[in-house]
Amino acid sequence: MPKKVLVVDDSVFMRDIIKDIFAAGGFTVVGEAGNGVEAVEKFKELKPDLVTMDLVMPYRNGIDATREILRSDNKALVVMCSALGQETMVMEAIEAGAVDFIVKPPRAEDVLAVVKKVLGEA
Amino acid sequence: MAASWDTSRYLTLFAGEATEHLEALGKDVVTFEKGATPEVVDSMFRHAHSVKGMASSMAFEATAKLAHQLEDLLDALRADLARADAQVADVILQTVDALSTHVKAAVANQPLPDSAELGAKLAALHRVLTKKDTPVPAPAPVTSTPARSSPSSPELEAPAPFSSSSSGVVDPTTPPRYSLRLKINPASNQPGVRGFLAYKRLSTLGNVFDLKPPLDDIKAGRVPQGVITLELETDQSEDAVARTMRTVGDVELESIAAVVKTPPAPPVAPEADPSRVVGQEPARTIRVRTEVMDEFLDQAGELLLATSRVRALSRRVPEALRPSLDEAVDHLHLLVKGLHGRVMAARMTPIAVISDRLPRAARDIARRRNREVELVITGEDIELDRAIVDELADPVLHLLRNAIDHGIEPPEERKAANKPPKGKVTLAVTRQRERVVLALSDDGRGIDVARLEQAVVERGLMTVDQVRGLTERERLMLVCLPGLSTATDVTDISGRGVGMDAVKRAVEQVGGTLEIETKPGRGTTFRLALPLTVAMVNLLLVSVGDEVYGLPLGKVSGVIETARERLPMSQNAPVLQFGQSVLPVHELSSLLEVPAGPPSQGQAPFVVVDGDDGRLALAVDRLLGQEEVVLKALSQPLDLVPGLAGVTILGNGRPVFILDVARLVTA
Repeated sequence: MPKKVLVVDDSVFMRDIIKDIFAAGGFTVVGEAGNGVEAVEKFKELKPDLVTMDLVMPYRNGIDATREILRSDNKALVVMCSALGQETMVMEAIEAGAVDFIVKPPRAEDVLAVVKKVLGEA
Repeated sequence: MAASWDTSRYLTLFAGEATEHLEALGKDVVTFEKGATPEVVDSMFRHAHSVKGMASSMAFEATAKLAHQLEDLLDALRADLARADAQVADVILQTVDALSTHVKAAVANQPLPDSAELGAKLAALHRVLTKKDTPVPAPAPVTSTPARSSPSSPELEAPAPFSSSSSGVVDPTTPPRYSLRLKINPASNQPGVRGFLAYKRLSTLGNVFDLKPPLDDIKAGRVPQGVITLELETDQSEDAVARTMRTVGDVELESIAAVVKTPPAPPVAPEADPSRVVGQEPARTIRVRTEVMDEFLDQAGELLLATSRVRALSRRVPEALRPSLDEAVDHLHLLVKGLHGRVMAARMTPIAVISDRLPRAARDIARRRNREVELVITGEDIELDRAIVDELADPVLHLLRNAIDHGIEPPEERKAANKPPKGKVTLAVTRQRERVVLALSDDGRGIDVARLEQAVVERGLMTVDQVRGLTERERLMLVCLPGLSTATDVTDISGRGVGMDAVKRAVEQVGGTLEIETKPGRGTTFRLALPLTVAMVNLLLVSVGDEVYGLPLGKVSGVIETARERLPMSQNAPVLQFGQSVLPVHELSSLLEVPAGPPSQGQAPFVVVDGDDGRLALAVDRLLGQEEVVLKALSQPLDLVPGLAGVTILGNGRPVFILDVARLVTA
């Protein structure tokens, strides 16, 4: 059974790239969200196996959303999407419970390698 | 005779080291009284020997001679331990005290005291000990002396006064340890985050020790060859650890091996080399004057402030330049924070520095007051900022004195109350998240709260009604009332008293809290909860008129915005509804006696804070946000202004006073 992924990013363009990578890698993207508030709602509703989470978003940033998601399910797997130069924020997200991170612009092989590792499939 | 080189340069160093040896020696004597072992006599001999060597290098002939005589006496004892008795212990302690007086006189540039009489005593005793046909004196009174002991961990008895490391002590209850070697993929473009992720993941399995490079270096990406080594104490199997590491991308577990526990180091044998000082210090250390460490911290703090100033400026550069500038500033900030953290870590000092004196003090107090006391100290390896440790030395001694003087009953009284004649005083140091808790407990008579209240009323410190209105906790805190604690005739009926107000003040000055628990007939516990460090504080910044002030976030319970003119009135003064309670409202401007801004239209902010006399609401003009700042102590004469806790410099270079919220209203 393909694993379910929730893609969170405020850029539609970026969401499309990530969605395509997952589709090609044999995952099912069960939903997407454009801000942190939506991300938390969708997570509770869809119960995905994995979430990719943008750091900087309107309404609620990725770190707060990650914290909130883990509060509702402490086994949730959240992978951050960050740009170079956001190391401090990524570490804050890891502190909040994120399990790994992907560097933007995302490259298919990197994304899939990270995600498979996190899911214990590597 | 003056030495050929200028000894004054070494005077401070001499004083510090000699004092440490003498304190350690005093502590050894207490162990010695419980039972003379070859190890403890050896240790005492070494300390005396070191003091002698240092004193003669400094050309303090009288000091050297006295130390030499002590050394002779100890040498004779080594040959015949059976001759150790209370009289010998007393003479040794007298000599230690005399030597301390010598050191103090030397530092003050005063003539060394005349110790001829004591010298004669030492010589006579030495003669007795070396004379073969002298009758063996009665054994030392083992049970009647206070002593530091810990039944569960005999290692604590080992004379290692300044070692802060517990390595080498085998504790069967600790889980197994593994030594791990990790390697970050060299192609990873964010090695710092990768390493941090691996560290985080491993710390979910157990406790990480000996992390190399240190965490701040890893976070900053300073990982030479991408190699991280650490030890992990965990209940998980080797396989489970390896499995967890496989879920971390770009970090490979190169090796994992169980750590073989080392048995406790055998006591160090006396060495012939007189230039060597105490042999027990396991780590390589250098001595640094405390002021130098203060300067380091100051500079590191200034760097942090300077970095945030640069960050503030970066908001004014053209949009296009900002991302790369921000990145550089982020990196700089990380480095500076790392440096600051390192400086803070270097200032950490084990509680042992102050607790080492306590066994000796307990013995003396108990003897004077005819009490039998056992002192048990645990957790003295736990570390705190040097500044806090220094502040605590006197308060802890006060508490110990009070516990023995007023807490522990005389042996007969204890027997009558069905208690063992020997009282027990415990100093338990524990780390509880970001705080270190020092609990000093006795199993004595407890505080007589009713008589304490009576005394408070009799001295006119409070009215009967005021006392009645107090909570249980507040009633106990009455022992800290200044007017009460100095009155000596009250100390015995209250069971406590001497200088308790000073203890409370000292604890609060370093950002700690004091709690008291007591059970009649069962004993009393004083619990000091202390911050690990003093220097960083989170502030809520508020403005009043043209001024900005910082309120420590730890004291802020909430913020409410409401229209000023709609505040309800109680007894002609405005009050604020906060949750279930109604709080008095104070204008911060009038408390600080500064002009307020123009009256605001509509919603105005109120900050709810915890004062000494309960919660209250402070009316301010505007809320400006939060900031983590480096606290700088106030210098004279500002430190005398009540209501001010310190000062800091904000990112924009503006100095800001930090308010002492607890005292703002009472001030």
